[in-house]
Amino acid sequence: MNIWLYIIRKVVNMIPTLLGVCLIVFVLFNLVAPDPALLLLGKHGTVEQIAQIHRELGLDRPFWAQYFDIVKSAFTWDFGYSWSSKQEIWQMIKNGAFPSMAITVPAFILTNAIAISISLLVSFYRGKMLDKSVVFVCVAMMSIPGLAYILFGQYFFAYKLGLFEIAGYEPGFPNFVPYVLLPIVLYLIMNIGPDVRYYRTAVLDEIYQDYVRTARAKGLTEKKILFKHVLKNAMIPILTYLIIQIPFLVLGGILTESFFSIPGLGGLTIKAINTSDFPVIKAMTILSAVAFMVFNLLTDVLYTLVDPRAKLK
Amino acid sequence: MNLKKCVIAIMAASLVVFAGCTKKQNASERVLNLSSTAEIKGFDPINAGDLYSGREISKIYEGLLEFHYLKMPYTLVPNLAEEMPQVSTDGLVYTFKIRPGVMFQDDAAFAGGKGRELEAKDFVFSIKRLADSKLNSEGWWVLDGKIKGLNEWRDKNSKLPATNYDEEVEGLKAIDKYTLQFTLAKPFPQFLYSLAMPFTYAVSREVADKYGKEFLNHPVGTGPYKLEAGKFDQTKTIIYVKNPTFRKKLYPSDASPEFQNLLADAGKQLPLVDKVIVHVMVESQPAWLKFNKGELDFYGIPKDNFGTAIKDNKLTPDLSGKGMILSITPLLDVTYTGFNYENKLFQNVNLRRAMYLAYDEGKSNELFYNNTSFPAQSIVPPGIVGNMPDFKNPWKGPNLELAKKTLAEAGYPEGKGLPEITYDISDSTTSRQMAEFFVKQMEQIGVKIKIVASPWPEFMAKVKKKSVQMFGMAWGADYPDAENFLQLLYGPNKSPGANSSNYDNPEYNKMFEKAALMQDSPERTKLYEELNKFVADNVVLMYNMHRQSYTLQQSWLRNYHTSDLHHNNVQYLNIDNEVKAQSLKKF
Repeated sequence: MNIWLYIIRKVVNMIPTLLGVCLIVFVLFNLVAPDPALLLLGKHGTVEQIAQIHRELGLDRPFWAQYFDIVKSAFTWDFGYSWSSKQEIWQMIKNGAFPSMAITVPAFILTNAIAISISLLVSFYRGKMLDKSVVFVCVAMMSIPGLAYILFGQYFFAYKLGLFEIAGYEPGFPNFVPYVLLPIVLYLIMNIGPDVRYYRTAVLDEIYQDYVRTARAKGLTEKKILFKHVLKNAMIPILTYLIIQIPFLVLGGILTESFFSIPGLGGLTIKAINTSDFPVIKAMTILSAVAFMVFNLLTDVLYTLVDPRAKLK
Repeated sequence: MNLKKCVIAIMAASLVVFAGCTKKQNASERVLNLSSTAEIKGFDPINAGDLYSGREISKIYEGLLEFHYLKMPYTLVPNLAEEMPQVSTDGLVYTFKIRPGVMFQDDAAFAGGKGRELEAKDFVFSIKRLADSKLNSEGWWVLDGKIKGLNEWRDKNSKLPATNYDEEVEGLKAIDKYTLQFTLAKPFPQFLYSLAMPFTYAVSREVADKYGKEFLNHPVGTGPYKLEAGKFDQTKTIIYVKNPTFRKKLYPSDASPEFQNLLADAGKQLPLVDKVIVHVMVESQPAWLKFNKGELDFYGIPKDNFGTAIKDNKLTPDLSGKGMILSITPLLDVTYTGFNYENKLFQNVNLRRAMYLAYDEGKSNELFYNNTSFPAQSIVPPGIVGNMPDFKNPWKGPNLELAKKTLAEAGYPEGKGLPEITYDISDSTTSRQMAEFFVKQMEQIGVKIKIVASPWPEFMAKVKKKSVQMFGMAWGADYPDAENFLQLLYGPNKSPGANSSNYDNPEYNKMFEKAALMQDSPERTKLYEELNKFVADNVVLMYNMHRQSYTLQQSWLRNYHTSDLHHNNVQYLNIDNEVKAQSLKKF
């Protein structure tokens, strides 16, 4: 199929998915979330004030009208203003995106570069002591909860050794750099285990293929087989794994941002949930869903570039 | 280079780049480093409903009155008012003279970007803003029904498409540029307290008009500090610098006996430090580490770190060796377990008494408060007139024998016939632990409790919607008057008002209404005590604790004391940079 036709078909298919996401957000907000009027008014709110806020926020309108507003936002990307901070939501997202990405982007690149390198190394020595040791360490690292790494990292690396800032954030380059270093290191430590295991498996899956045996029979060196043939063929699962993570880089890390007081999008989302700030919840959910679908599509398209045998259907 | 060496080189290079990259602060700067344990909503005084927002707003905005920084019990003194008001003999008319020469901070909202002088009309505007139903103020309750004509103005304007701020309110007048007059609808002895609360701070109409809904992110007040960035971006580091146009305001020269040691800066121009950095840190662990590293100037000891910081009610040698100072201060608060009186089950006084008798408050204090709190006998905390230091609640446990007997008198011998009771709490770890303890205590007399934990906002929503049976709650003073606690049980204040337990007893309501109209006098104190005893004897709530604050301050911090109501304390604080430089060597 022509690549453009494929993309158009996929984009059209996104519409019902997006409508479904809007419905889920709407239903969850109405069923689970506390009344924002109660949160906005504090401990002395009156019935009259609650009704006034419902009117002002449009919560007294019929359900279908409220749902229509969400759908409209999803397609116009006009998310309006936060109920709590009164700021324009796009401005809030712009403000939060950089601090989040200042951690996640370098951490993502570094983690994956190191993880792919290690996975190739252990695949080269598959079944040997080095391979077994790396797998053991990876499993051990994966068994420790993220919170434990954060608490230990803050206590040991930042407080005891004084290598990093304990927490905080200052906008502007290079002011923010000292504050994001420890979160980047911890991101790496928290993610290197599963990443190495995944990439190792992807590479090993290829190593036992017929073409590798053929290459060996032809007398190619292991290094050449690994880097020239195996890595190229392992790129499809690697690409899938990499690209699907990209939308989450923008969203930031909720736990990391909370413990390091980073004013990123993870913290923004949590604050919105805690204050029933529906326009922000709506914006973050819709943008996440769209980013997820777009990057999925991008993965499909990239398959054809990496492996000409792959066909778009 | 082989592959293995290459990987090792990358990892080593990464560590070299990362390590040692901490940001160093210039030790010679006079900077106050504080923390806020909650995100603030913004800088709109009318929405300063929580302590954290109130503290930040009070760095930039000011009110007519304030509490004297060095006097206890809390004493009101003039702030933007030139002197205390003249009050008519019937207690209904309050006339204030505004301090001349007070300037709003420079802002683009003013002509030429230069702040103008504060006038009486600014208070008229600010109070109307508080009353404007379109702005949904969190603080309207403070003046609801109190100022003559203000409720009518509010109701009339709520029906109009735009609020008419030019329309006069009978009880709220700027007599001239510097004279402000309030006429109350009925006597309200706590009125002056409300003028020291952030809700009634002075804002300018030009700024409110210019920034509209985003007013909360563009604070422009008359106070000692202003935002370094000029606007608030909902960040987690809030930086304030001295307001260059701040009026002459001096550090107090008189103090109560307990604050005589805080007079070293007497007579100096305020504020005392050039810059204030507030780190919004919701998690206690990083904030505690920051404090221990000397990066915060004071911090309340987190519950989980209490054992490592305090031994036998004293600082551990490790912390005292760093010069840290411990201050223990009773808080004006009460924690309690509430009954929802909309549920007929709880109208049975013997059931309530039996449950209270079964509960071991001492054990709870030991388990959850490190034995630092005072078991509450009734609702009014120590330090407020109406609290009776020698009063012992006859129904306070643990007295299992009497609890079982009383439960039988309630009609539920050994809990037979009593349905399972749901106990709603917020879903924090401590709340869950406390709830588990409560369940065990009630089991001893056969009362079955089911815990329902919800996130804080959801929990509050359930309480406000009256859809709980029992619930755990706390109340902190808005102002130092027993009325602020006793109103929690006043019938007309039922949920979603502050009376979360929906208690509505005509006898109590009548007594409360009488007390609420009385000026401070021995008669009112007697009535407050009667009300306090009434709710104690009837176990209207299960009164748990009056908490204490355990706060540590660094050796270089000057003039600090813990307080519930001095929201604007930062202007009085000072830093001794020499001591700081010396002390940090021990860290």
